[in-house]
Amino acid sequence: MLIGLGAYGMITKRNLIRIIIGAEIMANGVNIALVAFSVYTEVFTFTGQSLVIIVIAVTAAHTALAMALMLMYNARYSTVDLGEPVVSEGRRHE
Amino acid sequence: MMMQGAEVLLEQAEFIGVAVIVLVLAYLALEHKEITYAVFFFGFMAAAVAGFYLLLEAPFLVGLQIAVYTGGISALIIFGVLLLPRAQDSSLEIFQTARRRRFGLLLSGAVMLLSAILAFFYPWSDLPPVSPPELAQSLQGLAAWLWSGHGIYVEMVALIMLTALVGSVAILKMMKAEELRPLTTESHPESAGKKDESGSSSAPQTETGEGAKEAGPE
Repeated sequence: MLIGLGAYGMITKRNLIRIIIGAEIMANGVNIALVAFSVYTEVFTFTGQSLVIIVIAVTAAHTALAMALMLMYNARYSTVDLGEPVVSEGRRHE
Repeated sequence: MMMQGAEVLLEQAEFIGVAVIVLVLAYLALEHKEITYAVFFFGFMAAAVAGFYLLLEAPFLVGLQIAVYTGGISALIIFGVLLLPRAQDSSLEIFQTARRRRFGLLLSGAVMLLSAILAFFYPWSDLPPVSPPELAQSLQGLAAWLWSGHGIYVEMVALIMLTALVGSVAILKMMKAEELRPLTTESHPESAGKKDESGSSSAPQTETGEGAKEAGPE
């Protein structure tokens, strides 16, 4: 459900910050699923937990990158709304 | 027997409680009007997710989740919100089309359905949860698993993080260079004239150019 909620947020929202939050929520859902599947195995292994550690590290890295891109987008278009520059361009042409 | 039944019931109640809290906080993080509160709700949600790891007896992940998500990523997003003056605005959210919303609902419903099917067909009942090792052994085992046999993956993660760090710095440097370009052209009128002739100027450049003009006489 958490993955679905994150996907919903990523698709319907236009604010870049909310899109990043949606991606983080999805990552959290995936992490829970990984640990849950690794616990319910015949032999206890650390595969799930190790994968979650890797996913958390990668998520932190992509959040930093996304924030940098967001700052760049804001510097160029003075907004964090996706699609607003397109809409304002269209209005300018009208 | 009776005690075991009560224990299982209590565990299920704990799971449902944590799940409800996490889902409500995730919904608020996505739908709250104030973006700052939304980020706070995301931080609380990340802390509540650590409850799942406690239930699944993964204590190292509890610490990692709270340190990285609640402490790191939430703080990073809050700094981003505070840095951007128009982060609060989501003017186009008002014009959100019903079609887009319907598509989002459909896709998230499909994801949920697939997860439900996977959970339904996974043989949970055949595989009782294996009793995990003691905490000290667990941490020792995790470290051994990570560094003895799978050290290359840890190194790869470190490389990914380094790449992301260098990429972020490079992007911000690029942005700064774009902002500084009009200032340098301002100091050399000839080159500025050439630039005007070519007619290549974007919105932020003109803004900074104006700023430089204003700052010049002072």
